[in-house]
Amino acid sequence: MEYELRDDLKYTSTHEWVKIEETLTTIGISDYAQHQLGDIVFVELPDTGLVLEKGSNAAEIESVKAVGDLIMPLSGEIVEVNQNLIDSPEIINTSPYGEGWIIKVKISHTDELNDLLSYNDYKILIESEEK
Amino acid sequence: MVEFAGFIMPVQYEGIISEHNAVRSNAGIFDISHMGEFLLEGKDVFPFLQYVMINDLNLLEPTKGQYSCMCNENGTVVDDLVYYEENSEKFRMIVNASNRQKDLDWLNNHIGKSDVKVTNLSNERSRIAFQGPNTDELLQPLVNVKLAEINRFYFRHCKLKDIPIFIARTGYTGEKGFEISMENQYVNDVWRILMDLGATPAGLGARDSLRLEACYSLYGHEINNKITPVEAGLFWLVKPKEGVDYIGKEVLMDQKEHGTDRIIVGLNLVERGIIRDNCKISKDGEEIGYVTSGGYSPTLQKTIGLGLIDIQYSKIDTQIEIEIRNRLLKGLVVPTPFFRNI
Repeated sequence: MEYELRDDLKYTSTHEWVKIEETLTTIGISDYAQHQLGDIVFVELPDTGLVLEKGSNAAEIESVKAVGDLIMPLSGEIVEVNQNLIDSPEIINTSPYGEGWIIKVKISHTDELNDLLSYNDYKILIESEEK
Repeated sequence: MVEFAGFIMPVQYEGIISEHNAVRSNAGIFDISHMGEFLLEGKDVFPFLQYVMINDLNLLEPTKGQYSCMCNENGTVVDDLVYYEENSEKFRMIVNASNRQKDLDWLNNHIGKSDVKVTNLSNERSRIAFQGPNTDELLQPLVNVKLAEINRFYFRHCKLKDIPIFIARTGYTGEKGFEISMENQYVNDVWRILMDLGATPAGLGARDSLRLEACYSLYGHEINNKITPVEAGLFWLVKPKEGVDYIGKEVLMDQKEHGTDRIIVGLNLVERGIIRDNCKISKDGEEIGYVTSGGYSPTLQKTIGLGLIDIQYSKIDTQIEIEIRNRLLKGLVVPTPFFRNI
């Protein structure tokens, strides 16, 4: 199976993607992750202003068959959540890297960026999970 | 793909919601070959089944089937199943995949000196469910029987093109449709023929979401060896069968008459969230039961569930709380079924 991957993004081993920009960092789940979950029907979003540690659960993503967590790839403050997901959670399925973004974060430890996976590393990871 | 009762089964082909909607709007096909199929033959088959089943076989006639449960002496469920009367000395039985061996043992252990022979056809025959509002219309040109003459729960042996099939008007989706059994050598052709008619292949995921909307019990969830049919709301299966003793009769007739301490109810959430199996149900902080099946209803586009709770809280519109991953969400007891088209 072919999954869409973007080479301008960083990834995690728990299938989040991270888009690093000057002020805010946008986070979502990968195309591989949304395929694994199937039809997404509900997203429980965090409150803005919340400060979360790297590795903690930031959101719950529920499909018809399963529940997945959005795990913080980086420590930081939740500055914005994607309100469109409340009424249209399925946009994570249709546009995981675009309209289906989940949270925007002001990161607190820039050194954590070094722990993220590159496009190539992540590609190898999902290829190995497919086997 | 997942492992289910020893079979490798697809949870979905294209996607649970699209498969679910195809069954509700047109037609879907499910590979249900994992289910068990037994033939019971002999002079004493009728009295034997009257003894091990809770439903009344006097309601049957040749070419008719019946949904029933086999119960333990204490009324809890060994399995729920359907059997069809081929003739008074020959019955075909379809059982849950996960209970195939247990059921075979249960039947054989209760035969005693009766003239009953149980043959396990599970591995030499395959089964397909063909379900949806358009199934009659789609299938009629290809079979040599008048489908309109087959009433609900009745069956025929007939030919699909030139393939010999057993076809019953039964199902587990809340839609019109059929369940078809055939020798293994024909199953690929039958699947292909039904796909060519426009039926959408549907996996275990859609099978579960459809049956949950229709509120059909699933063994291991609404019924099991710790829950009785009366508690599961299947009190209509418990028959008095005057002058006939059957396993579990005493307990079940008493429960049917006097009620039970707990019962299966329909559940909705007032707050946003998805009800999941095994979530705790409470009322004002006191635990009153648990969710037996929960999920998302593609037809109603909201979460639905079934739960086993103390009977005093089972009235429609009773406010309850459901604990979903450490969050306590407000819910309601609601009428069932959530959706049926038959």
